[in-house]
Amino acid sequence: MNRSTNFLKNFLTLTTFATLLFSCSTESSQFVGLVRDQPLDVSKVYLPEETNASPAEPFNTVAANGELLILFFGYTNCPDLCPTTLADIRAAFARIGDDAKRVSVAFVTVDPERDTAQLLTNYVGSFVDRFHVLRTTDFNELQVAKDAFLASSTIQKTSDGKVEVSHTATAYVVDDSGLVVDELPFGVGADGFENDLKILLREIN
Amino acid sequence: MIRKDMKLKSIAVVAVLTIAFTSCSIDSESTTTESDATVETEVASTEAAARATITVEDAWARTSPMDATVGAAYMNITSSADDALVGASVDTSVAMMTQVHETTTAADGSMGMQEIKSLPLLAGVKTELKPGGYHIMMMKLVKPLVVGETVSITLTFESGSTQVVEVPVLEEAP
Repeated sequence: MNRSTNFLKNFLTLTTFATLLFSCSTESSQFVGLVRDQPLDVSKVYLPEETNASPAEPFNTVAANGELLILFFGYTNCPDLCPTTLADIRAAFARIGDDAKRVSVAFVTVDPERDTAQLLTNYVGSFVDRFHVLRTTDFNELQVAKDAFLASSTIQKTSDGKVEVSHTATAYVVDDSGLVVDELPFGVGADGFENDLKILLREIN
Repeated sequence: MIRKDMKLKSIAVVAVLTIAFTSCSIDSESTTTESDATVETEVASTEAAARATITVEDAWARTSPMDATVGAAYMNITSSADDALVGASVDTSVAMMTQVHETTTAADGSMGMQEIKSLPLLAGVKTELKPGGYHIMMMKLVKPLVVGETVSITLTFESGSTQVVEVPVLEEAP
């Protein structure tokens, strides 16, 4: 009950903000994404970071000092939501300019069996320069991370050998204290990312 | 008493309207016999089917990030007659399998995809295939989709017609 009321409240807030944004000028101070009164705390979340050069090392899902981290749950066999979101982030970075160098992207694979370190690195790296690819084959470790972000994902193998994946397609913006300061649902586009990142970057200046 | 009056009034209105309507149609058909009119209608509908055009606009496919094995194409489709998109294909030199997909949101907010066997196209209504909604999914890409190239996608419609669309590969929606 409480949860659904909250959801409705969040949805209404989001809709209102989106309406405001599109009716107002570009220098908006209103968020497109969801900003919770009680932000999610993900400062205790660690996931193995894959790099081409070295073995995986634990990565704390917290932005570097004075920076922002955008975290997204996805997979490389995703043709629609993942590349659209990453392309929107790339476009927003280009519009923001130099200030965007204070934002990095963390991509958590929800399909670790098929997504190798190299695939992930090439995939995310083809969109953005400053990124972390996070991958664990430990189901529980991934679940703990998903729970902290209130995210979900499923993988099902169909009888004809296809793999069906579902995942939360929200982009989470984490600050340097490990709080989720903004949650951008799928569909906000480059405009949404540009708007919210500009506000957040102004705030941490 | 009042009720009865109203009822009577309603009947009178309906009657007047019916007479007006009937006399109109008689007027318009006054020069044709009934059988002629029927034939004409049939001819007209056959011509409409033959003339039915399907317009595809703003088609584009997103670049496939390095090493990605899947790709998506988007476009707007308008058919002048009721129809449905029942399939899409590309040459096997591009991708091994192509399907029409829909991105859907589950009750818990997570999003997934499912194949659409028949995407209805209502006459004159633009159906959008766009990110987060319908898309043409190319699976087992043989080579990456690179900006500057085009992909020929053959669309198959329920009416039996097919249409080849030259789809440019772009980084962003046009």
